Amino acid sequence: MSVGRITNLMTTNQVLSDINQAQYRLNVTQEQLSSGKKILQPSDDPYGATRAVDLNGELSGLSTYASNITDGTAWTTASDTALQSIQNEVQRVRELVVAAGNGTNSASNLQAINAEVTQLTSAIKQDANTKYNGQYLFSGSATGTAPYTTGSDTYQGNTGAVTRAIGPGTTLQVNADLSSVLGSGAGANDGKLLNVLADISAHLTSGSASDVAALSSTDLQGLDDNLSTLEQAQTSVGATEDRLQLASTRISSLQTSDTATLSNVQDADYATTLTNFSNEQAAFTAALKASANIVQSSLMDFLQ
Amino acid sequence: MTIPAYTGLQSALRGLEANQAGIDTTGHNIANANTPGYTRQSVDLTEAASLTIPAFSNVTGGGVQLGQGVDVTTISRIRDQFLDIQYRAQNSNSSNAQTQSSVLGDVQTAVDEPSTSGISAAMSKFWSAWSALGNSPSSPSAQQAVISAGQTLAQTFNSVDSQMATVQSQASDQYNTLTAAGGQVSQYADQIAALNTQISEATQAGQSPNDLLDQRDELLDKLSGLAQISVTQQSDGTDTVKFGDAASPLVSGSTVTWPQTLTSASGGQLGALLGLSSPSGQIGTLRTALSGVAGQVISAVNALQPASSPFFSGNSASTIAVSATTSTITASSSTGSGDIAQSVAALSGGAPDQGFSAFVGQVGNAVSSAQSSAATGSSVLSAIDNQRQSVSGVSLDEEMTNLITFQRGYEASARMMSTIDSVLNTLINNTGAGL
Repeated sequence: MSVGRITNLMTTNQVLSDINQAQYRLNVTQEQLSSGKKILQPSDDPYGATRAVDLNGELSGLSTYASNITDGTAWTTASDTALQSIQNEVQRVRELVVAAGNGTNSASNLQAINAEVTQLTSAIKQDANTKYNGQYLFSGSATGTAPYTTGSDTYQGNTGAVTRAIGPGTTLQVNADLSSVLGSGAGANDGKLLNVLADISAHLTSGSASDVAALSSTDLQGLDDNLSTLEQAQTSVGATEDRLQLASTRISSLQTSDTATLSNVQDADYATTLTNFSNEQAAFTAALKASANIVQSSLMDFLQ
Repeated sequence: MTIPAYTGLQSALRGLEANQAGIDTTGHNIANANTPGYTRQSVDLTEAASLTIPAFSNVTGGGVQLGQGVDVTTISRIRDQFLDIQYRAQNSNSSNAQTQSSVLGDVQTAVDEPSTSGISAAMSKFWSAWSALGNSPSSPSAQQAVISAGQTLAQTFNSVDSQMATVQSQASDQYNTLTAAGGQVSQYADQIAALNTQISEATQAGQSPNDLLDQRDELLDKLSGLAQISVTQQSDGTDTVKFGDAASPLVSGSTVTWPQTLTSASGGQLGALLGLSSPSGQIGTLRTALSGVAGQVISAVNALQPASSPFFSGNSASTIAVSATTSTITASSSTGSGDIAQSVAALSGGAPDQGFSAFVGQVGNAVSSAQSSAATGSSVLSAIDNQRQSVSGVSLDEEMTNLITFQRGYEASARMMSTIDSVLNTLINNTGAGL
C-alpha cells in the first residue's frame, strides 16, 4: 500500500481490523480444539464435508451388515444345535433298530422299542420346528409356518432361501434345507427320514418275521442313507458359519479403515491445531500490545 | 513618496485574520478527527491586491507595487472524487457479497451437516431399520421401527426445507423493510434531496458549504451499500443519483422518486436480497436440489413397495410423508422371506445417499465461495477507504504542526501591528509637539 499520509483514524481502524482478524483466527482454532473437528460446517471444506457425509453413511451401512452377520450367526448356531440333536436321535433309533432286528425279541420288547422310536420321531419333528427370534429355522422362506405339525409328517414349508446381507452386494443363505433330509413321511413314500421312521414303526408294530428281517436290512439301510444326508446338511451349516465369521472379520476391518479415513477427513489434528492455537494466541496478544502503544503516542506528547 | 499611513495596520490585520482562520480551521479539523465522513479542510490563502505607489516619487518613474498582506479565498475540502466513485462501487460489491455470505450461512445452519441429527443420519437409520425388518419380516416391532424411522426422515426433510424457506422469506422481508416508504432508502434519499436544496442555495450565494457536502457524501456512501449508485454533479451544486437499475433517478435536485422497481442486477444489499429470495435464486436452487434428493428417496422406496400401498407420499422435501402403516408395509414377496425389506435396505449408499452428499457439497461450495468473495470484497473496500482516508482524513500530528505554524503567524502579525502602532505613536505624539 503506497500511502503518503497516515492519519490517526487510519491507524486506529487498521489496528482494530487486525485485532478483529487475529481474534477471528484464534476463535476458529479454539473451536477446532474444543470440538476436535476441523470441519464444523460444509463451507469449512465442501469436499471434505461431502466425504464425511458419505463415510458416515458407509459406516452406518457397515454396522448394519455387522448386525446382520450377528443375526445370521445366531441363526446358524441354532440350526447347528437342532441338527446335532436330530443326529443324536437318529443314532439312538439306529441302535434300537439293530437291537430289534436280531430276531430274539419278544412281541412286548418290540412294542417297547416301538414306543421309544415313536417318541424319538416326535422329538426329531420338534427339533425340526426349532425357532429363532420367532422364526422357524427349517421351513424355507415361510418362516412363520411350522415345518411339521403333530399328527402329520407332511412338510408345511417351502424350499425358499432365508438370506442375510453380509456385505455390499453380498447376500448369504443362512437356512439349512432340512426337508430334503426329513421328507414328507409315509404318505409321500419318498424314502426320506420320516418315511423310514414310519416304516420302522410299522414293522415293529406288526412284529412278523419278514418285517423284523426288513428292520435290519432295508430300514437300517434307509437310516444310514439319511444319516449321511443329515451330515451333509450339518457340513453346509458349518460352512455357512465359517463364511459369516470371515465376513465379520472383513466388515470390522472395513469399519476400522473407514473410521480412520473419517477421522482424517473431519477430525482436527491436535498437534497441528495446538501449534496453530499458540501461534494465533501469540499474534493476538502482540496485536493488543502493539495497539496499546501505537495509538497512545502523538506529536502532542512532545509539544509544550 | 506617498504611502497611506494605515496600510501597514491593514496588512497586519489581514495577517491576523488569515492566521485566525487557519487556527479555527485546524480546530475544526481536530474536533472532527473522529467524525465519520468528515473531510479535512484547509484555508486557501492568496496575496492581497497590491497598492501602486505613483511614479513621481520613484527613481525609475514606473511606480511600484506595494504588497498589502494576505486574503482568505476559500476554506476548501481536501477530497478526491475519483476515490469516492471507487469506494461506492466497491461498497456495493462488498455489501452484496456480505449479504450473500450471511444469508447462505443461515441456509448452511439449517442443513445441519455433518451431524448426527441431520438428514444423512436419519437416512442411515431408515436403511438400518429396513435391514432389521428384513431379518425379522413378521416382527411388529421391526415394522413399527421402519415406520418411525421413515417418519423421522420425512420430518427432517420437511423441517430442513421449511427452515430454508424461512431464510428465503426473511430475505424478502428484509428487502421490503429497506425499500418501504419511510425505509432506509427513502430516508437517505429524502436527506440527500434536502441537502441538495441547501447546498444549491449556498453555492448560488458563492459559498462552499463544506460540512453539508460532507454530510451528503456520507449519505451517498451509505446509500451505495444498498445498491450500485451513480452520482452526477450538476452545475448548481446538486447531485443527481441513479440507484441500482431503477428507471428514473432516485434523487434529482430536491425531487425524490421512490419506490421504484429493482432487480437482482442492482447490486448492493438489495440486489443480493432480491437474488436470494427469488425462486430461481441460490436458495431456490438449493431447495430444488434437496427436493430432488427427497424425490429419489420417495421413488426408490416406493418402487419396491406395492403400487397400491406406497411407503411415502408426496414428491418434494416439503411434502414427503409416510403413508404406509404397519399393516400395509410389505417386507416380503412370499411370506416370511424379508426379501423386499432387504432390497430396500440395499438402497443404502445408493442414489439417494449420493444425491444428498452432493447436495451438502453444493451448500458448502455456495457458502464458501460467498464467504471468500465477502472477505475479498471487504479487504478491497478497506484498502480504498485507507486511500481515501489518506487524502481526506485528519492527521492530528499534521494539525498540531499547522496549529503551531498559524500560532506563530498570528503572533508575528500581532507583533507587526504593535510595531506599526509604535511607529505611528512616534509620528503623532513625538513629532513636532515639543517645538
